[in-house]
Amino acid sequence: MNKMEKALNELGHMDELAVQESPVHAMNAGAKLLCTVIYILVVMSFNKYDLSGLIPMLLWPVFMYQMSGIPVRTCFYKLRIVLPLVMAVGLFNPIFDREIMLHIGNIGVSGGVISMLTLMLKGVLCLMASFLLVATTPFDNICAALRRVHFPAMLVTLLLLTYRYVGVMTEELAVMTDAYHLRAPGQKGIHVSAWGSFLGQLLLRSMDRAQELYSSMLLRGYHQHFHYAPIKPFKFSDAVFLILSIAFFAIVKYVNVSELMGMFLVR
Amino acid sequence: MIAFENVSFAYESGEPVIRDMSFRIEDGEAVGLIGANGAGKSTIMKLLLGLVQGEGRILVDETEVNRDNLSTIRHKLGFVLQNSDNQMFMPTVYEDMMFGPLNYMVSREEADKRVDEILDRLDLQHLKHKYNHKISGGEKRMAAIATVLAMEPEAILMDEPTSALDPYNRRIVINTIKELSQTKIITSHDLDMIMDTCSRVILISKGSIVADGKAEDILSDKELLEANHMELPLSLSRNG
Amino acid sequence: MHMADALLAPAVAATMYVASGAAAGVSISKLRKDDEPAKLPTMAVAAAVVFAGQMINYTIPGTGSSGHMCGGMMLSALLGPYAGFLSMIVVLAIQCLFFADGGLMALGANCWNMAFYGCFVGYFLIWKPIIQSKWFGADKSALRKRIIVSSILGCVITLQLGAFSVVLETSLSGITELPFGAFLGLMQPIHLAIGLIEGLITAAVLCFVFDSRPELLRDVDEVGVSGLTAKRSLKGTIGILAIVALVVGGGLSLFASGNPDGLEWALFGNTDGGYSSNMGLDEENFGVSSQAAEKAESIQEKTSILPDYAFPDSESAAGTTVSGIVGSAMVAGVALLICLAGGFFRKKKKQS
Repeated sequence: MNKMEKALNELGHMDELAVQESPVHAMNAGAKLLCTVIYILVVMSFNKYDLSGLIPMLLWPVFMYQMSGIPVRTCFYKLRIVLPLVMAVGLFNPIFDREIMLHIGNIGVSGGVISMLTLMLKGVLCLMASFLLVATTPFDNICAALRRVHFPAMLVTLLLLTYRYVGVMTEELAVMTDAYHLRAPGQKGIHVSAWGSFLGQLLLRSMDRAQELYSSMLLRGYHQHFHYAPIKPFKFSDAVFLILSIAFFAIVKYVNVSELMGMFLVR
Repeated sequence: MIAFENVSFAYESGEPVIRDMSFRIEDGEAVGLIGANGAGKSTIMKLLLGLVQGEGRILVDETEVNRDNLSTIRHKLGFVLQNSDNQMFMPTVYEDMMFGPLNYMVSREEADKRVDEILDRLDLQHLKHKYNHKISGGEKRMAAIATVLAMEPEAILMDEPTSALDPYNRRIVINTIKELSQTKIITSHDLDMIMDTCSRVILISKGSIVADGKAEDILSDKELLEANHMELPLSLSRNG
Repeated sequence: MHMADALLAPAVAATMYVASGAAAGVSISKLRKDDEPAKLPTMAVAAAVVFAGQMINYTIPGTGSSGHMCGGMMLSALLGPYAGFLSMIVVLAIQCLFFADGGLMALGANCWNMAFYGCFVGYFLIWKPIIQSKWFGADKSALRKRIIVSSILGCVITLQLGAFSVVLETSLSGITELPFGAFLGLMQPIHLAIGLIEGLITAAVLCFVFDSRPELLRDVDEVGVSGLTAKRSLKGTIGILAIVALVVGGGLSLFASGNPDGLEWALFGNTDGGYSSNMGLDEENFGVSSQAAEKAESIQEKTSILPDYAFPDSESAAGTTVSGIVGSAMVAGVALLICLAGGFFRKKKKQS
């Protein structure tokens, strides 16, 4: 399987997840979007040493994954892209920041180690939240929700159309890649003699295709206005969900829940 | 009624693609438009839909095709593209079917009803909420026909409706076409399909009409077909 | 170069959202004024091609590694800066949402780092002036040379700007302990090499388009190429490209890695590389403990959407940590319970 086919599978898998049924899937797309954005912002805002304060933020995505029935492992598969980068930046912290911040038994833990772990946890949490949004909301609903909050129509339409043609173009390139490698065994990538023509051919063909696509839009009465699918309405339960979630974020943000829980046990 | 009156067309700085062409198609007729590659079949479609402008007069129900009444004309004509991926640009089949009616100011309830009706008729309910990039080639072609039907056109134009389909899906498409009561204009190299679906055939060569008549007459004329890069339909060659 | 949410502070992320949003707003109003309705589908299809095209591995001659093409420069050469910018935003948004390549809140920063420079700087300061200049002469092969030069220059410069912004944004966010200068010293050279490769690939693709359908390229038409005799000497072009690529590739084999992303490479590759030179920047003014950094941090604290929870500094932090650790373990326990409960209810539902 080549890279493009893998990407297609991933894309297809996300679509499948998004049309399942669960309380989370049934929610209003706008409410979910808002909640995800606030969640990520709160996670980002934690102090770089505040590992114990950040940990309770894990509870929200964990709860939501259970509610939605989305397997967490599919999300962790995506971590392979995010984590190396975050870890790479984080790995420098133990080197530059060696001041001991706390002792576990006799072992001193430096501030750098704590800030590194905090950074990694942040990376995981942010990904979990944004993955959850996309995995429980069909993409056209996200677009409709964006339109509802007066996101520019041109950008939303572009997003919708591109999303549709990403699949088509990726598939075409997947076939082209296979065809190339069948005639060029042993080559890992595209040889320099085909650098221009390989993508260039597709580019030219797709420009014609765009023309035909535009004709097809015109023939069905397109006059620079797109109609979006109706999204699930904002219900009372969405309001409750929003308020509870935000309240939870606020508590975790302003009260160190881990420490509080620990204190009950330790004392 | 669709009529071409002395229509000519040439792309910029090129040979004429359509030369002084005239024909008339009555309501309810099913016409097969055949000819070699590059004969001008697709250009005829484009002219009719107002996607390109040529010389001469093109009439749809006594309305002339020109820039001012494109929207009226296009509402009357449904065009099924050869490449369904280019036709279906919305994420799901349902949204694609809604696109046309909503643009023509049909209310959402009415359009919804229409979509369900058509999906039932074509036995496609299972595709309704499927993503366009996840359905098979045959399903895509049927869905493309459904999106066009959702606009309730008076005439349907089809460009190679059976290309790249397996025999089973081809048969489904043919049966669907046969059941449509609208005026039909179909271009194809699949002469067996034309034989099955059309009563009249117009044979084009180098931008001009070479023959225009009953399907069985033209499609059984071996010499005429071979002179135009085609062969007798299988169903006829076996008998003869 | 895709940044993750975790690498940014909310204030920095928001600032970058505002900046990219403003650029997008300008682009949208420009495109609206142009009123070319056919442009939208073209933008969508071109964006889809770039999205897919970025997955192609191009073999770099003389090395075992592979390069990728640069979307911003290519899209603005085809669609112009405004449409190119919007198309790039969409590419980045889809990469972010479906492939977790770059974070949702970091999207503003990513659009700025990768799309803004590539489209606006790349087009207005590099592509357009060079194409319209009289460099190399007035015939068609001269124009091709100008396309090659502007593609390479465009990619190199815009990538340098992008890499600089990544360093700046991360440092301002106070995420890394890596001194600003050292970070910069890691990022800029590696992105110089990447920029060269991306430039060559982009040049090759644009030359192909130029040979086949020159009218598709921006500004090329105005130079009056239609009157020039079309001479398809792709071979010659590729010859030049190959030689340049070989030279660059030889130098690049020093950096050779199968890793497609220079940011990761730059950061992984040099834990003890001894980057003390700071790229000529002096530590006092630009280092992490410099006034600039401190000032930025204080600004950031004041402007952050939710004021920072005042975590006690290191000494007092140690005092309360025991309960912190125990509590964290308890939280993990609660999380596990939620998972078990969820699994239990789902099973029950399936049975019933």
